[in-house]
Amino acid sequence: MATTESPALIVVCDAGPLIHLDEIDALDLLADFPRVLVPEAVWREVQRHRPTALANPSLVIERLEPVSPAPSELQTLSQVLSLHSGEWQALRLVLEHPPALLLTDDTAARLAATSLGIAAHGTIGILIRAIRRKQRSKQQVLSLLRSIPSASTLHLKRSLLDAVIREVEKQP
Amino acid sequence: MQMTKTVIQAELPPELATRARSFVEDGWASDFNELLAEALRRFLESHSSQLTESFVINDLQWGLHGND
Repeated sequence: MATTESPALIVVCDAGPLIHLDEIDALDLLADFPRVLVPEAVWREVQRHRPTALANPSLVIERLEPVSPAPSELQTLSQVLSLHSGEWQALRLVLEHPPALLLTDDTAARLAATSLGIAAHGTIGILIRAIRRKQRSKQQVLSLLRSIPSASTLHLKRSLLDAVIREVEKQP
Repeated sequence: MQMTKTVIQAELPPELATRARSFVEDGWASDFNELLAEALRRFLESHSSQLTESFVINDLQWGLHGND
């Protein structure tokens, strides 16, 4: 399916969306971002749990290590929210590449991003965005959303997923 | 007031257990149980269901109506 004009944002990926999108064969949805950055710690985590996500021919992934010192606000948030090394590096990479978008399915990482004024979304957002970006039809995205409980390790309350599906169904 | 407690058996990676014990030995927590309870409390606070749901709804709106 054709893609619309390329978005300006680059994305920095935490492990969750890479793993979850690969599990439902939708990792190619990240391919229309100009750059997809994966910090070293996330790379190692995905390599351990879902190596196929790093070898998808439809996606060019840049493996990077953050080099700038982390701002004190991020250091504090990391301690308070007990962020993992992957989330910590992902947030640092986002801050090094403004205005990058953070992709994470971790609530604490997303909370930290919000506190730092960083735009962050997760697997669900990327799937639904595929309709707007004309990467998938509405029916294809609905099918992907319905497959999440059985085909992926993304943990989502069933009633919430059903509410999301109903909202997507309402779209023209 | 006497607080009711539940006994839980958990398996931890050895490195994590070692770090946790060192933390207690250094005096940052009164004992291992307190440390585990505090860690669990913080996790549940930062991963609250309400917060997670709000992020998913935000994803829905961005997916449908965002411009990037």
